[in-house]
Amino acid sequence: MKLLIVDDSSIMRRTIEKNLGDYNLEIIGTASNGNAALEIVKEKKPDVITLDITMPEMDGITCLENIMEIHPSAKVMIITALSDKLTGLKALDKGARGFMYKPVNAEDLKKAFDKLLKRQE
Amino acid sequence: MDTKREDFETTCNLFIQALENYFKHLTDVTSEIGVPFIKESETLSLKNFTGLIGISGNRKGFVYISADKSMYADLINIFIGIEEPTTEDILDMAGEISNVIAGSVRANYGNNFNISVPIVFEGMPKQLKFPAEVAVFVIPMKWKGHEAFLVVGLE
Repeated sequence: MKLLIVDDSSIMRRTIEKNLGDYNLEIIGTASNGNAALEIVKEKKPDVITLDITMPEMDGITCLENIMEIHPSAKVMIITALSDKLTGLKALDKGARGFMYKPVNAEDLKKAFDKLLKRQE
Repeated sequence: MDTKREDFETTCNLFIQALENYFKHLTDVTSEIGVPFIKESETLSLKNFTGLIGISGNRKGFVYISADKSMYADLINIFIGIEEPTTEDILDMAGEISNVIAGSVRANYGNNFNISVPIVFEGMPKQLKFPAEVAVFVIPMKWKGHEAFLVVGLE
């Protein structure tokens, strides 16, 4: 399965990449904003996407809406610092398959991805 | 207790919880929180590297974390195993901490507590000053011996 990691923090992108190393996921790209992410989605059609919300140029919610239009089968896991419930519900309503609040540690990522990928089998 | 003091304590506690949770959850090492104080001077409390988030919506102001390179380097080493991070990595780490702390507090203030993308800088920028109408308080902290400040200014 192809994975795209979208977060404006390079440390966060590399943390996610490191912690998802045990899964059978091919990291086909990383992006630091929604516009860059959409280019990769159009070209490479990732199966799984981790998506931050607060990013420059295009925020994650707008990016999610666009992803659902161009590649609706993508499984999007939102990973954000915005910890209010409404943001989570909004993302799920727009097509995200999962939602995680930062700070996210290795165990949190593992639990969430076990669930996300199991659901996909 | 007067409203101003009550508001100061409530806000302080929210940021302290977010700060403590960040370090404990990601590193398993508890941070030591010092006694918060209200800042009267117009100058900033700064270490060498700072990540700042602007706040708008139902509250207006900012929050920033400031620490020396060694603290961010220690965190980066824990997260991704890099021993000699670049300056860009250090600034990115400062921005990400401030983002997560401000975002955590949003759970209490609601989705009209808007946070900006991080502004990061090294050293003391000349153009940054506290707005006069904002009450600023400083939460000193230590994590693994590294000193840092979380500074919050909210209308």
